[in-house]
Amino acid sequence: MVATDEELVARSMAGDADSFNQLVLRWERPIYALAYRVIGRDEDARDVAQETFLRAFRALPGFKGQAKFSSWLYRIALNLCRDWIRRKKRTPLVDMPEDVDFIEMAADQGPVESIEDLVARNEMSRMVAEGMKLLPDEQRTAIVLKEYHGLTFQEIADLQGCPLSTVKTRLYQGLSVLRKHLESQGMTSFAGGRAS
Amino acid sequence: MSLMFTCDDKATLVAYLYDDLDAADQRRVDEHLRQCAACAAEVGALAGVRTQLTQWAPPNAELGFTIVRTGGAPAAAVLRPPQGWHTVPVWAQAVAAIFVLAVSAAVANVQVKSGADGLVVTTGWMTPAATTAVDAPAAAADDRWKPALLALEQQLREEIRLNRETGAVRAASGPEVDTATVARVRELLAASETKQNRELAFRVTQLARDMDMQRRADLLRVEQAIGHTSVEMARQQQRLNYVIRASTTPQQ
Repeated sequence: MVATDEELVARSMAGDADSFNQLVLRWERPIYALAYRVIGRDEDARDVAQETFLRAFRALPGFKGQAKFSSWLYRIALNLCRDWIRRKKRTPLVDMPEDVDFIEMAADQGPVESIEDLVARNEMSRMVAEGMKLLPDEQRTAIVLKEYHGLTFQEIADLQGCPLSTVKTRLYQGLSVLRKHLESQGMTSFAGGRAS
Repeated sequence: MSLMFTCDDKATLVAYLYDDLDAADQRRVDEHLRQCAACAAEVGALAGVRTQLTQWAPPNAELGFTIVRTGGAPAAAVLRPPQGWHTVPVWAQAVAAIFVLAVSAAVANVQVKSGADGLVVTTGWMTPAATTAVDAPAAAADDRWKPALLALEQQLREEIRLNRETGAVRAASGPEVDTATVARVRELLAASETKQNRELAFRVTQLARDMDMQRRADLLRVEQAIGHTSVEMARQQQRLNYVIRASTTPQQ
């Protein structure tokens, strides 16, 4: 049976480093993905992810379990991202590294997609990445947490330390900016309904 | 939510977009969208943006963080998987090192010559000044010193031979020599030699085993890299074909 986060946290707090490493294994990719999408640099996102787990391990005795372990990790990671952006004093860049291979990603999904579709999808991804870097940090973070990590509005509000309505406003404004950017690039964004 | 949904209620619009309304509120928004083309277009466009956001993925990075305790309980380090130079196979590092040495030697014009004076190592591109002028007297000097050196060598060999014979006689017959000590020393020397030979054989075997294991690991990596390259080439070919097709298709 797979241990829950709470069980692994309890064992880690009792001094079992292996249990904490299981938590690391479980959450390293989401945390890295969060950092990458917020700050936009692969190498720095790795550093942020690493530092997140190091800080979490050190602060584990103080973790009282009021929030979910994942929310706690997200908070640490977002604080580190914020520090990184502040320290670098520059707009986060969203690089499209060479090793983001959408061909490979599609190959994993099966051979149903044509090469033309793959090229188009790669282009769309680049445009989305460009659009994301146009957004203010708060809007970008809200979109990342909602779209890619499936957090509730309330969880995002807690993480960002703002009212629920502000989260919705940030999402609306961010999505609207992205819509204009994509349309200016000739990408029709009409989907005929909710994407959910 | 209020009884009526209005066009400027963006918070409710976002909640609708993310399926975060209860059934009654959702019906109200649906009703409004049927009547308001602008809001319907906006919802459709924003939903389209959400669809396009799914295309953006982070790199498939190798992470593998691990917490390792160092020293006291609170101290810990997160180790990252090896990257960069560490992932290069040992044989490739060795080849690179040899290449660097070879290039350095070529740049420095290192020349190694073996002659009567033993090994001579020279560097640099400058031609030695007045070489021809010095060569002739040097050859003459060689002719003059050769017989003397040969005579000296013969004399030394003779003295060494005599010394060995007298030494052996002294060891066999001298009253001051302790034969038991000599035997003991010889025994110790033999034991030491045997031990060294055994250690050498052990180390050679170990080295051979290590090299074999490393070679197998490197071969495996090379095979994987070749496989990956082949796949990548096939993909590049596909992309190229697509570009060619796209460029040759007449514009409509």
